[in-house]
This record gives sequence, structure tokens and C-alpha cells, in this order.
Amino acid sequence: MLFKEKERIFLRHRKVNEKIIIVTFLMPALVLFFGLIVYPVCNTVFLSFHSWKGVYGAAKDFVGLNNYGKVLSSESFWNAMLNSVYFMIGGFVILMPLAFGLALLITSRLKGTKLMKTAFFMPVMLSTTAVALMWVYILNPSYGAANTILRAMGLDALCREWLSTPTLNVWCVVLVNEWMYAGYNMLIFAAGLVAIPDSLYEAAEIDGCSRWKKIRYISIPLSKESFKIFSVLCVTGCLKAFDLIWAMTKGGPNHTSETPATLLYNEAFTFKSFGKSSAIGVVLLVMGVVLSLLMNRLFKKEEI
Amino acid sequence: MKSKVGKLCCYVFAIIWGLITIFPLYITFLSSVKDNQGINLGMFKLPVKWLWSNYTAAFNSAHIGQAVINSISLGIMSTVIVTAVGMLAAYVLSRKRFKLKSIIYSLFLVGVMVPVHCTIIPISSLATGIGGRNSYWFLTLVYAAFNLSQAIFLFTGYLNEVNKELDEAAIIDGCNDFQLLFRVLTPVSLPIISTQAILTFVYGYGELIFAMILLSDERKYTISRAMLSFSGGYQQQLGPIFACIIFAVLPMIILYVLFHEKVQSGMLSGAVKG
Repeated sequence: MLFKEKERIFLRHRKVNEKIIIVTFLMPALVLFFGLIVYPVCNTVFLSFHSWKGVYGAAKDFVGLNNYGKVLSSESFWNAMLNSVYFMIGGFVILMPLAFGLALLITSRLKGTKLMKTAFFMPVMLSTTAVALMWVYILNPSYGAANTILRAMGLDALCREWLSTPTLNVWCVVLVNEWMYAGYNMLIFAAGLVAIPDSLYEAAEIDGCSRWKKIRYISIPLSKESFKIFSVLCVTGCLKAFDLIWAMTKGGPNHTSETPATLLYNEAFTFKSFGKSSAIGVVLLVMGVVLSLLMNRLFKKEEI
Repeated sequence: MKSKVGKLCCYVFAIIWGLITIFPLYITFLSSVKDNQGINLGMFKLPVKWLWSNYTAAFNSAHIGQAVINSISLGIMSTVIVTAVGMLAAYVLSRKRFKLKSIIYSLFLVGVMVPVHCTIIPISSLATGIGGRNSYWFLTLVYAAFNLSQAIFLFTGYLNEVNKELDEAAIIDGCNDFQLLFRVLTPVSLPIISTQAILTFVYGYGELIFAMILLSDERKYTISRAMLSFSGGYQQQLGPIFACIIFAVLPMIILYVLFHEKVQSGMLSGAVKG
């Protein structure tokens, strides 16, 4: 009797202890998460319905959907969206084939694949602004290497003011983006390729398939998961493009190379229209979620 | 014969892309030891005179050494916080049973999807409100928060795979939760911890947008923030700027050369969760 009583107290004690442990262990993570992610997101949604000039403690007037109306009817927003579409086009037309090709290379039976892998991946490690700055100087119209090469090849007519010509400057940044992330996406594809069993290729070889056919009918269809990951990362990444474009053109000249993210930053910290900026943020958030769900759906449908 | 041609093509492709990858770094390095005249003569040419003084100039005028140290310490601090907080949470999520567990876990998963830009205004006001401007502790917490979701995801996944018999043995030996986590499970989880540590460090070292918003004191600039001031292009001497770029990328290149396998697998596990 006494023994059982003691055991019960002991067990209850343990249960309380257990709860304390659970709460204290989770607390730091929850505080960080709610304080710096959940609360800011909710606050952005709240702000997007208000007009606020960013004065700390000043009143925020409710303006309904006004901010959204202003954003969605402004030319600069659609120009920025168009620029991020360029990023996406660049991603799917240039980056995807390139990264897949590199992945085929480093998973092939060639010599030196390890060295290739290490070399190709390196650009991702360099910080974005450093990469941006390197390319800004390479693309410099007067002494930059890009124009020097063109002149050396006798193609003077192709020399441009790369970063100050509208649209061309966006494409320059897109290409630098591909340069930076080719190696990274290569790894994503390579991880998928390595998982394909060798026996499939051997069977194809016995059937007399050429190298190209093996890629077309085995490597590409069986890398579907990698293509899905790539697509989701590419689309959401392009919507968020900020660092490179900011460091290379600051959205200029004359706002021609803005992306939604630089627009959002400018609205907030240059023009102090925090409501409008928040509306852009919410649009981006919703679009990101919708597009990634759409991508997932798209790839599922193909399965059937 | 045919396959030989194919192989050759592959090598040519590999070499061309390799050159394209190295090219900007090579140019930057060459320019970093030239004066303006040398740069104007052509970025490719080897310098007539190797001006190593550009590096000392970069050090003295642009506070670049300070910026590199700032970035590295921010990277390290965020890494430490992410690891500690992440392991604590992951331990509970993988070893304990309680009501809200699955909800909390999926909440953290959703956190991976939140784009940074949706949060900059509230975080900026928050910083003003609690005195977090120009202070590293606040920036560190922000960096940690944005890496936490992924850390918890990776750590919990890893701990779930660790045999529970290990816990039982430790508990029989009289370990409490703290000892179990820090003496037993943390050493076992070192592979995944180092993976996440590299991810967080790379993020903290190069992060730009929060550094732009929250830091206005030049002495506190991180490397990304400090280099932004060069892109205006009004500087008299170009050589030191290139030297600064080299300084900025050097720590990352060293890290990469030392741990490239780890870095690659780490970056990959960072991608696949999405």
C-alpha cells in the first residue's frame, strides 16, 4: 500500500518533470519562430491593409484593399513581375539544361569527375555581393573583360553598356544567376541520377541503345523528382530574386531592372510607403505558395 | 570511334564550363594587383608590376578586415544558436510524446516556405522597438530564426533514425534529459549537425537584406553590406576594390576547399527538403 502510494507520487512527479522538460526544450525554438517569423508575417498581412509612413509608433489608417489596388495597377509592379518572368525563363531554358548536362558529366565514367564537381559547385559558396561585384567590373563598358573579349574577336558592334541598357541588364543578371547556381542545381540532378540503378543502363546497352537514347529514355524520365525539386526552387527563387540584382543594378537605371523584391524594398525603405510594400510582400507570399503547389500538381499529373 | 568523339566532346564541355567558372575569379585576382592603368590596358594581361600594396590599401581604407571578421563572427554566432536551439527542439520532437507534437512539427516545416522579404518591415520595426538596430545579437537571432525550421527538420529526421536503445542504456546509467541530449545524442548526431552548421554559416556570412536594413554603422557592416558601397563605381583606385573582393571570398573558398564534400552534401540536403 505504502509502496504503491510512493510509486504513484514518483510517477506523477516524473510526468510533471517530463512536461517541464518538453516546454523548456521547445521554448527557445518557439520564441524565435513566433517572434521573428510568424509574428512578422501576420504583421505584414495586417500592414498591407493599412496606410503607414513608417514612423515608429504613428497611427496606421485602415485603407482596405487600397494598397493592393495601387500595387496591381502600377506599371512598375508588372514590369518587376516581367523581370522575374525573365529570371524564370532563364532558369528553365538555360539553367535546367546546363545543370542537367553538368550532372550527366559528373556522374559519367569520365576521369576527373570529382575535380569537376568541386570546381563547378564553387560559385555558390562565394557571397552574392562578391559575385555581383566581380561581374559588374567584367561587364564595365570601358575596361571590362566582356567588351575587351568582343573587341579582340573583332565584334566591336556587339559591345554594349551591359548594365545600363534596359532589358539587356536584366538578362545579364539572369546569366550571372545561372553562372552562380549551375553547380548547385547540378548536384540536385546528380543526386537523382546516381539513384538510377545501373542495371537499367546495362539492359539498354544490350538492346543496342545509343548514349543519347539512354539519356532520353532512362536518365530524363527517371529524374522526374529532381526536375520537380528544381522547378519549385527555381520558381520560388526567381520570385524572391533580390541580392544579385540589387548589388548589380540596384533596380536601375530608372527602375527598369526592378524585381518584385527590390520593388518591395524600395517602397518600404526609399519611399516609406510601408502599406504598399507589405501588399507586395503578401502578393509574393501567396504567389510563392500557389506556384509551388501548382508545380507539385503538375508533376503528379504526369505520373498518371 | 564514335564513343571516343563523344568522350572528347564531354571533356571539352567540362573544360569550357570549368574555365567559365574560374574566369571571374582569375580576372578579379589579376586586377587586384594592378593599378588603374594596368586595368585599363586589359583585364586579361598579367600585371606589369605586382602591386601587393592594393591589399594593404584595402585593409586600411575600406575596413574590409573588420567586415570579414564581422561576417565570420555573425556566421559563427548564428550557427551556435541554430545548433543549440535546434537540437533542443529536435530532441523533444523525436523522443517525447505529447499532444501538440505533430502540429508543432508541421508548423516548423511551413516555416521553411516563408520568403524573407515578407518579414522585413515588421522585423525592422521590431528592431527599433527593442533596440536591435546596429546590434549583432538581434541580427544573429534573425539569422537563426530563418535557419531554424530547416535545422529542426534535419535534426529530427536524423534523431528519429538513431536507435532508441541508446537512450535506454543511457537512462539506466542514470542520465537525465540534459545529459542524454548533450553527452549521448549530440555526439552521435555530429554528421547532421556539421551539415547544418555549414549551411547556417554560409547563410550568415553572405546574407544581405537584413544586414542592409538593420546595420547603419559602418564599422559594423558585414562583408556583403560593405561591398555594396563599391558598386557605385566612383572610386579613384580600382585595384583595392578588387583586393576587397578577394578578401571577401577567401574565407568561403578556404572553407570550401577544406570541407567540399561536406559542403556539397549539406547544400543538397538543404535543397531536397523543399
